[in-house]
Amino acid sequence: MTLSHDPWVWISAILSIAILSFLFRDNPFYKLAEHIFVGVANGWAVTFYWHNVLMPSLFNPLFRQGQFLLTIPFIIGILYLTRFIPRVSWLVRIPIGISMGYAVGASIPAVSQAYIIKQIQGTILTPENFQAWNAGTTGIIWSVILLLGVICTLSYFFFSREHKGLLGVTSRIGIVFVMIGFGAAFGYTVMARISLLIGRLQFLLGPWLGIID
Amino acid sequence: MKTTDLLMKIDRRIIYLILLVVVTLPLIFPSVQSVRVMPPVEKLFNAIDTIPADKSLIIDFDYDPQTLPELEPMAIAILRHAFERRIKVLALSLYVQPLGLATNALNQVTAEYNSKASTRADSIIYGRDYVFLGWQPPPLVPILGMGESIINVYKTDYYGNQTDTLPLMQRIKNYSNVGLLVSLSSGDPPRWWIEYAQNRFGLHVGAGITAVSASEFYPYLQTGQFSGLMVGMKGAAEYEEIVSSQMGIVGRRKASEALPSLTYAHLVMIAFIVVGNIGFFIQRRHK
Repeated sequence: MTLSHDPWVWISAILSIAILSFLFRDNPFYKLAEHIFVGVANGWAVTFYWHNVLMPSLFNPLFRQGQFLLTIPFIIGILYLTRFIPRVSWLVRIPIGISMGYAVGASIPAVSQAYIIKQIQGTILTPENFQAWNAGTTGIIWSVILLLGVICTLSYFFFSREHKGLLGVTSRIGIVFVMIGFGAAFGYTVMARISLLIGRLQFLLGPWLGIID
Repeated sequence: MKTTDLLMKIDRRIIYLILLVVVTLPLIFPSVQSVRVMPPVEKLFNAIDTIPADKSLIIDFDYDPQTLPELEPMAIAILRHAFERRIKVLALSLYVQPLGLATNALNQVTAEYNSKASTRADSIIYGRDYVFLGWQPPPLVPILGMGESIINVYKTDYYGNQTDTLPLMQRIKNYSNVGLLVSLSSGDPPRWWIEYAQNRFGLHVGAGITAVSASEFYPYLQTGQFSGLMVGMKGAAEYEEIVSSQMGIVGRRKASEALPSLTYAHLVMIAFIVVGNIGFFIQRRHK
């Protein structure tokens, strides 16, 4: 067991323990560590944006190299700050409108293709989809279960008719698929959170306390 | 107080303490746990392994300190695989936070290889074998822009070098020179790469994701939109295993070392869920 001599390791370890102390109860050490984290993260991000984005991509080309075309995005960007001046705060709609227009225009065809069309194709019973399971001849069974799950789950969310008769049967099967999905998601969430704890313990027991390699 | 009441009122701090012990002991007293490589990870391994010599691998480092334990072992294992196969690597990040972590991973694996190398040809050289492009906001701009020209999007790399002066960037112009992109992320980036880069430019995409987002991303694997997928620490351990068993790469395997802790913690969680449910049903029957 060799304790670390690196002050940064000690700072990191103490802050980690301060954050973990919240599991016992809320306390000033947790609050201190939380505030330090928020402050440092924001300070670092702002500095990084200034030196790595605004200076090389806007201010240097515009004011030092005379690329005056950049005045247009510069002015549009500045309009975001008009939000703080009530008399002209309506001007903020211009950059927001441009950003939204660009994002929506770019995303609608892309999202439709990746989200809807490809996923519908994935549920169709074709030999290619059977092979996609890497399960040999049982691939067809998984594809049928998938198709059944999609149709039944969709029928559960169909609220224009009372869930009786055939719709009642399919919606009840649908809720089973939904619950299995929630169970899987919960199981994965447990795995993720335990993994994070392991990661921290690997650090505390390793570089800090020197108990493990 | 009855036993059932006790079961229903276990202080959460006792549960945390038990979990802490269960997770800590296997780290202090390590044991070997066999890892079975599942098809999604095997597909990713094969996708990287079969990248043609004239094409490169892009690794999108999008993890931050919160998700480091799950995603960093994936990054290390993929870098070892790529460098062993002499696959050219372009690294980048769509967010600011991962930049330092990406540098750590690149430096660690480069140092591992260069400590064994005897000549310059054997070594992993920056600019020749890999380039760290850094970060260019907003994410949509590099994802779409790199389909036309990578050096137009990243005029300088993370270290401030002009990208058009780097030997590797003379060969890799856009996505047509890229065999695969692997997105290591705890959020939406793998989906963005599919939506914008794959749909528009036909880029092959693989992913390493946190366990939390697994159920969200599995559908993309089944449709073939992902060339392969690693999920959480278990997925990272599987990739470490396949890289070690198929290529004989020796190095620290942090995810594999953590697997016993992960397994025992899951058993404890299952036990608590079972006990809690038994207590609940007994209590309900008595009412």
